[in-house]
Amino acid sequence: MLQARGIHKHYGGVHALKGVSFDLRPGEVHALVGENGAGKSTLARILAGSTRADGGTILRDGREARIASPRDAQRLGIGIIYQELDLFPNLTAGENIVAGNLHFREGALVRFGEMERFCRPFLAQAGLHCAVDTPAGRLSIGQQQMLAIARALSMDARILLMDEPTSSLFDDAAERLFELIAGLKRRGVSVVYVSHKMDEIFRIAERATVLRDGETVGTVDIASTSVETIIRMMVGRDVAIANRARRAPAGEVALEVEGLTTEKLRGISFAVRRGEVLGIAGLVGSGRSELGAALAGLDRARSGSIRARGGIGLVPEDRRAEGLMMQMSVIENGTMAVLPRVSRGGFIARAEERRMLDPVAARLALRCPSRGAPVSRLSGGNQQKVLLARWLLVNPDILFLDDPARGIDIGAKQDIYRMIEELADAGKAILLVSSELPELLRLSDRVLVLHEGRVAARYDAGEATPEKIMAAATAASAAEARPQ
Amino acid sequence: MAFSQANNAEPYRAAQNELMTRLFARQPDVKLVIGDAQQDNSKQVAQVETFIRQKPDLLIVAPNERAALTAVMGQAMEAKIPVICLERDILEPNYTSYVHSDNLTIGRMAGEFIVEQLRKKYGAPKGNVVAMRGLLGVEGEIHRDKGAREVFARYPDVRIVADPVADWIQAKAKDRMTEVLRAQPRIDAVYGHNDPMAVGAYLAARELGRDKEMIFVGVDGLGGEAGGIRKVMDGILSATFVYPLCVDKAVETGLRILREPGFRPGKEYSIAPTLVTAANAAQLYSQ
Amino acid sequence: MNFAKFAAVPKSLLALAGIVLLAIAISPVAGDGSRIFLEIGNLTDILRQVSLIGIISLAMTLVILTGGIDLSVGSVLALATSITAMWLTRGYTHSMAVAIAVAAAACALAGAANGLVIAFSGIQPFIVTLASMIGVRGLAKWLTNNQNIDIGFGRDLAAQFAAVFRQKALVIGSYAIAAAVFWTLLARTVFGRHVRATGDNEKAAIYAGLPVRSTKVWVYTLAGLLSGFAGVLYAAENHQGNPNAGAAYELDAIAAVVIGGTPLSGGRGSISGTIVGTLIMGVLTNMLRLNNVDSNVEMMIKAVIIVLAVAVQRGKGGSGA
Repeated sequence: MLQARGIHKHYGGVHALKGVSFDLRPGEVHALVGENGAGKSTLARILAGSTRADGGTILRDGREARIASPRDAQRLGIGIIYQELDLFPNLTAGENIVAGNLHFREGALVRFGEMERFCRPFLAQAGLHCAVDTPAGRLSIGQQQMLAIARALSMDARILLMDEPTSSLFDDAAERLFELIAGLKRRGVSVVYVSHKMDEIFRIAERATVLRDGETVGTVDIASTSVETIIRMMVGRDVAIANRARRAPAGEVALEVEGLTTEKLRGISFAVRRGEVLGIAGLVGSGRSELGAALAGLDRARSGSIRARGGIGLVPEDRRAEGLMMQMSVIENGTMAVLPRVSRGGFIARAEERRMLDPVAARLALRCPSRGAPVSRLSGGNQQKVLLARWLLVNPDILFLDDPARGIDIGAKQDIYRMIEELADAGKAILLVSSELPELLRLSDRVLVLHEGRVAARYDAGEATPEKIMAAATAASAAEARPQ
Repeated sequence: MAFSQANNAEPYRAAQNELMTRLFARQPDVKLVIGDAQQDNSKQVAQVETFIRQKPDLLIVAPNERAALTAVMGQAMEAKIPVICLERDILEPNYTSYVHSDNLTIGRMAGEFIVEQLRKKYGAPKGNVVAMRGLLGVEGEIHRDKGAREVFARYPDVRIVADPVADWIQAKAKDRMTEVLRAQPRIDAVYGHNDPMAVGAYLAARELGRDKEMIFVGVDGLGGEAGGIRKVMDGILSATFVYPLCVDKAVETGLRILREPGFRPGKEYSIAPTLVTAANAAQLYSQ
Repeated sequence: MNFAKFAAVPKSLLALAGIVLLAIAISPVAGDGSRIFLEIGNLTDILRQVSLIGIISLAMTLVILTGGIDLSVGSVLALATSITAMWLTRGYTHSMAVAIAVAAAACALAGAANGLVIAFSGIQPFIVTLASMIGVRGLAKWLTNNQNIDIGFGRDLAAQFAAVFRQKALVIGSYAIAAAVFWTLLARTVFGRHVRATGDNEKAAIYAGLPVRSTKVWVYTLAGLLSGFAGVLYAAENHQGNPNAGAAYELDAIAAVVIGGTPLSGGRGSISGTIVGTLIMGVLTNMLRLNNVDSNVEMMIKAVIIVLAVAVQRGKGGSGA
């Protein structure tokens, strides 16, 4: 149905794709897996016409196809759902669907009636129940994704590329997405599913093509393969996934929050001890990120108290938008919050700056072309490590980590998990937000579940299960499960 | 007597009002009413209409814009009111008399002044001239430039060796003149289309020690500390040209229309600009 | 040291070198056969002519690096020329230093007002400085009653001031010192780091606990101060306080910054780039004027050069992931 042969792509001096090949059959869900930086998103973009390959051929139904622009891809029935949804937030759902759509003839004037008639069936197919004139920016992330899918369907896409579609979704929205993909498959749509989440791949995909360092490692049938096999293909080595050794938190209370109420939070109370990891679960919008903002003093508390022994460090959820200065170098980003310690009279001692960052970078296994390279040239995992390095240098007693392992590859995830454990062992009090429940359960000593700004449940590590947390996070009548 | 003035804010317009008031004050039997149209065409039209109802013996109009005032001044003529059009032209000759000056004449006078100075210097009209131009495309710039070029064209040995554009601005003229001075080993005269540009050129020449080599001629001749007349008194400019207020002639013509029944005024009076040199600068400055 | 900062400079330097070679090639020739463009006098003319815009664009670089813009620099310069000339010619003081200090302080204050409003109100810098561009121009005109205040050539304080501060060496030297100070400020100090961090990602800068607000107040204050200092030099060079001076200077300064490789979105850029950008514009003007090129054509050529210079530097740094 769609074949790519010997695709090459260079970005400046980086050889991102080195002759990648890929073969998609009609009506299958085909996973494209690999660590970040392996080239899977680049390949998807080339197939969708948003990036041009430097070499190689693409065949559509056996005929050579030229895909030089997204419009070419549209004509060939190829649609793409980008990781960072390419919607116009200020345009309505309908306008988003018809913009640049070859199947909807636009005249000089907007014809609202026809737009409505055109969009309705596709919104229904995508399972999005909203008015055609709802601004896209007002939809939740999950709904925006449905809108993007409706748009692709309206362009008569027979092949749908999805680039890490669940990276910004919580489990319930992901669940709806999987159902939708199953429905598309029944209708004969082929799906290329770019991801590195093993549970998802094993759930929905028939085959998987593994990329590593811009090369095709191989294509496997999911039914006859194991998670370990694919991970080994991805990272080129065995990765042990071990649970944290449980310890009884012995430290004193480092942070005590009582009845904290802000614009988004309602009477939150909890305590964290030194050496303890408190997991914080909840849907996007449940108040989990706002808790970090309140603790760091960025949001004003209306009532309640925060008693902290020591400083609080906040590693924000969106590392690109809220964490890093993307154009600045690794070293500049790393030492950003501790410049007074490496400067005299306002002048930065640059040798000292480097000496300060090096050991922390080593502890995090930070890999980058050079310490002077802008962080934009690093993989997502290494970017996250730079941000962690910034806070390790600040060395606060309490750390609020907002989804630190989101959207990064397995190797880097392991490094970050290890770092969190080391920090806890060193006596830091850690608050860990995570969208991925297995990760949360693995790292946390206790779990706090938030729902609509309130504490919906509290669990000890031993008693928490994904099902219990899910139930508490989505329950409408969330009550305190039990006192501490 | 009624006078409809386009606006009272500009210094030039204010000077016109002031002079007219002073001249008519000498005539005890004449009462002058001045209206300010605040640079607004429709206000001025309404103002002239009101004057027509009041039936003055004489109407002087300084039109804000040509097209807008043409019709209403025609109405005044129909109402048998003598109309003097001051300084700015209108589309149809809807006036008894039109008193004006013009930039083309200034350009010619400047050209002739420079030729005269060159003749004195070399015994024959020859030499290198720099024209420092104002904002291109503006009426004043076009005619001040054209008039001078017409004159220079008659003397093959008088050459414009550079004509940089300095947009009426002194600082720019200084920069542009600096470059001209580098490229031109001998310059006899600088013709600035306004006084500030002539002064800017002077500053550049002075910095390079070449200010004695050439003369500087400007246009505008405003009074006051920073005006061009003062610059002539200080010896920076050899000459400047005052764009006349035209009020004297208008008042004189108006009074004759009122007093002399058989008087037939000329359809058009062109007033010569005033040449300001060291000889008359001090006297003009005190005015 | 930032990688992108190094990468941006050689390309604009290349552009400058190209223009200089062209200028030498087409330069008119003096009586003794030498090329006028290469005369020391002409080369220093260029430096002197770009010094005022150059000084302003140093501070403009910092402003743009924070993701802001300052449209009021031309008006602030006019204010400085007016205040300097008033203080010197009207006997308010018997010291040049006092007159200069008063002008500079007033301008720094105007800049600080910009900065305070921008940092604390959240109104876009374009709007705030557009307002002060109008307001400060009004202030300068009101103070001077819309009249130029001329500085003569006599022996009085004002004339002495002009004689000192219009000297080529002093003007060029001031620019050189200011450039060195600003280069150090941006490349070597904590403040410079904060400037770039704020422009690169303001939200992240707040999360990292950086003094974003005071950084902004400072860059606009510096913009006011340097525009004021440029105004002092303007008054001396042109022998006048002129409330209408400096029209469109903000655009020249912004052009120099942008040609020098600092994008209007901020976060990335350098003082050295801005200096090169300033020189490109200066050499270009000088070359065209020495050859007496039609001024309409000159504008068209400049337009092409601006777009080319920026296009050449595009794609450097940026987000590569």
